[in-house]
Amino acid sequence: MRNGRRFAGHWLLLPALAVPAALVGAIAGGLLRAGVALPAAGSGWLDAAVQAHSFLMICCVLGTVIAIERAVAVGHPLAFVGPSMSAGAGIAQLAWAGQLAAWLVLAASLAFVAVSVVIVRRQRAAHTGLLLLGAVCWAVGCLGYAAGLPVNEVPCWFAFLVLTIAAERLEMTRLMRRRPGTSAALAVILVALLLGAVGSGVLFGLALAALAVWLLLFDIARRTVRTYGLSRYMAVCLLLGYGWLLVAGLAWAGASRGWPLRDAALHGLGLGFVIGMVFGHAPVILPAIARVKLKFGPAWYAPLALLHASLALRLFGGLLAVGAAGNALAIAAFAATVIGAALAFQHSPSRQGQVHGTDPS
Amino acid sequence: MKHDENYPYAGPEALRQPVLNALRRVVDPEVAMTIVDVGLVYGATVTPERLHVLLTMTSAACPVAYVILDDAYAELERVAPAGMSIDVELVWEPPWTTDRMSASAKAFMGW
Repeated sequence: MRNGRRFAGHWLLLPALAVPAALVGAIAGGLLRAGVALPAAGSGWLDAAVQAHSFLMICCVLGTVIAIERAVAVGHPLAFVGPSMSAGAGIAQLAWAGQLAAWLVLAASLAFVAVSVVIVRRQRAAHTGLLLLGAVCWAVGCLGYAAGLPVNEVPCWFAFLVLTIAAERLEMTRLMRRRPGTSAALAVILVALLLGAVGSGVLFGLALAALAVWLLLFDIARRTVRTYGLSRYMAVCLLLGYGWLLVAGLAWAGASRGWPLRDAALHGLGLGFVIGMVFGHAPVILPAIARVKLKFGPAWYAPLALLHASLALRLFGGLLAVGAAGNALAIAAFAATVIGAALAFQHSPSRQGQVHGTDPS
Repeated sequence: MKHDENYPYAGPEALRQPVLNALRRVVDPEVAMTIVDVGLVYGATVTPERLHVLLTMTSAACPVAYVILDDAYAELERVAPAGMSIDVELVWEPPWTTDRMSASAKAFMGW
């Protein structure tokens, strides 16, 4: 018997169709916002995408992917209901059914809270508790967005993403010996982050920057970057992401004081940190959720380099439209790399170099 | 014969080292270490009919667990005698702690 895994592949059908559509919509909406001329400008779906860029990207794309990841970990078919709703919300949003999309995502986020409770019951630990807290942040933001409550949804949604990533890294840092006060410092930072998300942009930004410093000091990436292959690639993604988290945190605090740093705050965080993490973890997460084997090679560094170079151009070079186009190209190049890696594995004479076959010894 | 497994093994001596070697070929890429070094192997029991391995994970929220289980199964399949069934079981008790890490794993992580 292989193991007791229950793979609910049919539950992935709707997300597999809807998430790419929501991603294309979110990217196209972002490009238009950045001033890039697109041939389809003026069409109804694109106007809807421009209006709901952050909703599509955070809730319908990233929220769905994270919820699928969690559903696979739980291994119960019901856990896939939530991500199916948030994926469907992307299509609803592009079809100008924005209110329906908002309620669908709220339902998805509540389902995600329930799934996160199952994880906590399975393993009572600091990192699973933090994952649950992140889920609650997503739900709070979605409630505000759907019901029109006076909640600033964007910091809540970002808190969801940041806490989710922080929780997963916290789990990894358990492998390193902790110095006294390390956990207490993280707790203070995270409390500040939560308070900032609901009440103070300056506090939120400073907490993000402090979290970046904490991760740069204590994450195992500082050690695994000295290995090779996929492990090193993942570490490079992490360390670059922490750099952008620091930049974005300081920019968020500055933007909250009225400085013209809004793009650096939102996209340093959303692209530099969050999408950078996606680039780093997709090679191990995709085989887990889609059951597709990927071959790792140096080509994986090309989209990563393009992402960070174009973001630097956008935020520090004053070339918003050119940088945004480069950001979109980096995501497209990453998708092409994933497809190429799957084909390369299928045509590989041996399993050497597959993402789960790297040997650091 | 070289024995350096950090988990209880019960079964024929002839399979002790092949089972260990198979499990040592399963790497968690996130931490760049084998599942044996991280201390994720809780035990291996071999009877004439069955090779039964208990594995845990550091996190209940990580979907990569199932890929690691599949990789462990594939590696054990390479060393198990023909006709022997292989059972790789995921367990959560007792919870994993850093005490289970090998000396080399701790050295790599700066302990």
